[in-house]
Amino acid sequence: MTCPSCGTAVRDGARFCEACGAALAEVPVSGVDVDAVDAAATAPAGAVTTPRFDDAPISAPTRKPLSALPDPPAPGRRPCAECGGEVGPDRYCLACGTKAPSERDHFREQPASWVAGVCDKAIRKSRNEDAMALLAGPEPGSRAVLVVMDGVSNSIDSDVASLAGARAAREVLRMPLPAGMGTAESRSAAVQKVFTDAAAAANTAIIAVTDPDSPNPASATFTTVVLEGSRAYWANIGDSRSYWIPDAGDAVQLTTDDSVAQAQIATGVAREVAEAGPQAHAITKWLGRDSEDPTPTVGALDLTGSGWLLACSDGLWNYASTPDAIAAQVRAAAADPAADPMAVALALVAFANDAGGHDNITAALARVDLGHNDQTPTPAPAGTPGGEPTDG
Amino acid sequence: MAEFTAAVYQNEFLPDGGTDVNAIVTISCAGAGTAGQAGSGAAGEIIIVDTSGSMGPSTMAAAKEAAQAALAEIVDGTWFAVIAGADRAMLAYPQVSSGPGMVQMDAGTRAAASEAIGRFVGSGGTAISTWLDLAGQLFSSVSQVTQRHVLLLTDGENRERPGRLDEAINRATGYYQADCRGAGTDWQVAEIRRIAQALLGTVDIIPSPALMKEQFQEIMRKAMSRGVADASLRVWTPQGAEILFVRQVSPTVEDLTIRRTAVNPLTGDYPTGAWSDESRDYHVGIRVPAKAVGQEQLAARVQLALGDDVVTQALVKATWSNNSELTTRIDQQVAHYTGQTELAQVIQDGLAAKAAGDEATATTKLGRAVQLAAETGNDEATSKLRKVVEVDNEETGTVRLKRAVDKADEMALDTASTKTTRIRKES
Repeated sequence: MTCPSCGTAVRDGARFCEACGAALAEVPVSGVDVDAVDAAATAPAGAVTTPRFDDAPISAPTRKPLSALPDPPAPGRRPCAECGGEVGPDRYCLACGTKAPSERDHFREQPASWVAGVCDKAIRKSRNEDAMALLAGPEPGSRAVLVVMDGVSNSIDSDVASLAGARAAREVLRMPLPAGMGTAESRSAAVQKVFTDAAAAANTAIIAVTDPDSPNPASATFTTVVLEGSRAYWANIGDSRSYWIPDAGDAVQLTTDDSVAQAQIATGVAREVAEAGPQAHAITKWLGRDSEDPTPTVGALDLTGSGWLLACSDGLWNYASTPDAIAAQVRAAAADPAADPMAVALALVAFANDAGGHDNITAALARVDLGHNDQTPTPAPAGTPGGEPTDG
Repeated sequence: MAEFTAAVYQNEFLPDGGTDVNAIVTISCAGAGTAGQAGSGAAGEIIIVDTSGSMGPSTMAAAKEAAQAALAEIVDGTWFAVIAGADRAMLAYPQVSSGPGMVQMDAGTRAAASEAIGRFVGSGGTAISTWLDLAGQLFSSVSQVTQRHVLLLTDGENRERPGRLDEAINRATGYYQADCRGAGTDWQVAEIRRIAQALLGTVDIIPSPALMKEQFQEIMRKAMSRGVADASLRVWTPQGAEILFVRQVSPTVEDLTIRRTAVNPLTGDYPTGAWSDESRDYHVGIRVPAKAVGQEQLAARVQLALGDDVVTQALVKATWSNNSELTTRIDQQVAHYTGQTELAQVIQDGLAAKAAGDEATATTKLGRAVQLAAETGNDEATSKLRKVVEVDNEETGTVRLKRAVDKADEMALDTASTKTTRIRKES
């Protein structure tokens, strides 16, 4: 058997996980974990058991649970992108002299074998204002957190702010989402609260690094996807996006942009027209000192098949906006379902750079293998934060 | 412990298709200490005094006094020897015929060496190759001496079969350093400069015997202040790049390009000799394959290496841009030293043309020199040039050769031609 919190193999009959310390015995089978039970019930026979998050607190965590996810491993020095040579401590290739991007201009995170992300400056930009912060349990499909933020380019120091924000949000999401008091409404409210706290933490971090006298304070978008077993939760502010891309069936854009283009689409303007408009990239909600509403839109979806969760910035989706278009890119990069998620993320970044690379590119992915392939995702049970986005 | 720092001055922006990168790298040393005291080996000093028959009584008297004054500057404990040079070289002190040919300085050896110098008598010819070879043999007779410096004084032209001196210079190159001085006006600047340049030292004229003592003291004091025995300028360039030149440009112009020894296929070392608390400027010219506009790449790592240890590094970069405001700017330091390097060349060419009787070329070259010296603010060169030419217009470089020129002034201009001035550094 494996630990439901961190995925480590544990001895049968063990009461606590040796790796993370989560309690294993006397798992409550009813009551507080209604949603997970519901989700498991909707899965056909043969599906992997939905991991249960027994260390999940009732409300927003007030202590550090033993099941808190560890930070991704520190990145090593990568070989030269141009010639594959060794890069010197001065960040130039020792063979061809090509400048290696700074860790801020291009960074990668792979917290577990099944979760990876790439955050890249893009060829046409001079600075990387995108940011990303990932977490994952070692067991594939156990628990993953993808946070993507896009610093607004006409604000000052938004590169510093977005990274500080993403890491602050990740800190809030390090612990399993709360189970609530046992009812779906209670759980929904508790989850909403955690995502609101995560956005607030990001907002506080942004303001903390903003010069109080800045005439143009740093601001950023915020999107996050949290996978817990077969359920994906998301939260969003601005126009970064999260997608569910099943191996079979239609891809879904989980988040809804807070943008002028989206507002136009909502009034009936065609997506292609709206997204090509002069104000297409103007966002209507953001984080930062001048944010009017730092509360994210939150949702959840029960996954019934295998596929990819993707969180990305507009530097990627600009070149593949519809769920079908982005799914085509992901599927092309991950023709083999066992593809390394890092390779898939790199392929997506390369695609966006090849398509123009006009904006910073972030692609963060979690591979979900549920052991069967349903054609359609199942909306989460009514009354939970899922299905339709609910405005916070 | 000596500390080295490096700074680079360049315009890294190249136009689309541009390939040539120029940079001035300033390397500074602080805390060098005293020669032979750094623990990396002992220091050795050899004083070579020309005792050929051409040395007149007043020159010989001044040379003896100067050599004795130089002895006084040598720090106790330093290994030393004195050579009397004529048509063969004689070990004047210590008077041994086998075993170590140098002794350590103390009050007793200093007095004994002084006495030996006092017995110098001028006779015979001038065979400088024998002097250099004896110095090399003496250094090699004391294995603990790793920092080797020679002070050489001559007053006449070398009288040896052509090529012999060059062979001796080759044997000494990389083994010891030598500062050379010419007394009077009967010696050949080009000949002695060849020795000094190869042996990483200085060359100058001592026009009157009265100035000799002071010069010797200064040379020896400086030698004693070089606490860093040996260092190399190490230059890395990327695959596919070509080194156009590597020059020291301050305090003097020395072309190091052909003195490269390969460290690995992309890296070469250029000799710099010993260091005191000082700073030196190097001009590197690198040709790199052009990259796309917006790309940045490293054109060179310029480092100072003590043995295998790199103690400081400066990065020379290339960034391709289509902003002509950026790409057409010439770095002030690069411009300054490009001018100073040309100045050294036109002075030497001008004087050579004048000596060969080609007055037209001499006038053009020295006129250009006057112009460059003014432009680059090299006042020493300007004042020395004005003793050789009449300046009609400094700005346009219009000059006339003076009819009566003191030979010493001409030689002083020649020896000083490689001395450069600095401009105030911008940060």
